Amino acid sequence: MASASPSFWRRGDQEVSLARLYVLRAFCILFFLAGPFIALPDVIHPDPAVRGLMSSIVAGFWVMSILGLRDPLRIMPIFLFEFVWKTIWLIAFGLPRWWSGMNSPHLSQDLLDIGTFPFLLALVIPWGYVWRHYIRR
Amino acid sequence: MASTAASVSPPPERAAEGEVSLVRLYVLRATYLLLVVGLGAVIVPPLVSHELVARGVIPSLLGAVWLLAFLGLRYPLQMLPLLLFELVWKTIWLFDFGLAQYLSGQRPPTFAEDSFNIALGVILMPLVIPWPYVWRHYVRRAGARWR
Repeated sequence: MASASPSFWRRGDQEVSLARLYVLRAFCILFFLAGPFIALPDVIHPDPAVRGLMSSIVAGFWVMSILGLRDPLRIMPIFLFEFVWKTIWLIAFGLPRWWSGMNSPHLSQDLLDIGTFPFLLALVIPWGYVWRHYIRR
Repeated sequence: MASTAASVSPPPERAAEGEVSLVRLYVLRATYLLLVVGLGAVIVPPLVSHELVARGVIPSLLGAVWLLAFLGLRYPLQMLPLLLFELVWKTIWLFDFGLAQYLSGQRPPTFAEDSFNIALGVILMPLVIPWPYVWRHYVRRAGARWR
């Protein structure tokens, strides 16, 4: 950190700053490490009575996180996807249930596991890059 | 292909688009359109009105695929990770959970719908995705800088 030059924090003529690349990569590493704990038991021993969509989707994210380690900007749609689905969940399901007072242990866990991520991802995603490449271009 | 690219240097986005045929771009756009229309018809109603007690994880996930498919109409190549992701998770489901459900004989009520929709994705995506482009851009190309 001590040797951090302005170019570490500023993007200059690059797409995003080096700091941002590391933040995005850290997110991928975190998911790469956590993913197997979330989905692997179900994927290895699929219970026929369980629908299995969630575990498959988590496993799909896990594969994408490998691509993201190398070049996180290339998989920006996956970051956006994470941001969008968790925001939809929070607005359409999480918050209405919370406000209605119909709380359950399940909801508290989901609010933590899903509901906190829109805020976290809002900080992680390089919105300037998204604006330049996915909206203005 | 290299000679045509070298003569005039187009802006980067045009260069990327020039890497696949116009037909491929339309095929990709048709796929995103299929998601916008087909998935939209299934997923928007439960997103708009649902029971308050619904957990809502699956509708939210599919709702996000639906929303991002709109971006795919405009940026078919840039949104390829979305299609790759669709292919990966659906392949995992089909050969893991789907097969287990099929072989068990005690299929959950969701089996018929899930297996149809997911198998469609597993068949369609490999035909639609421009694999040489994926190879060049996601495998062979140098990753982002580390220093």
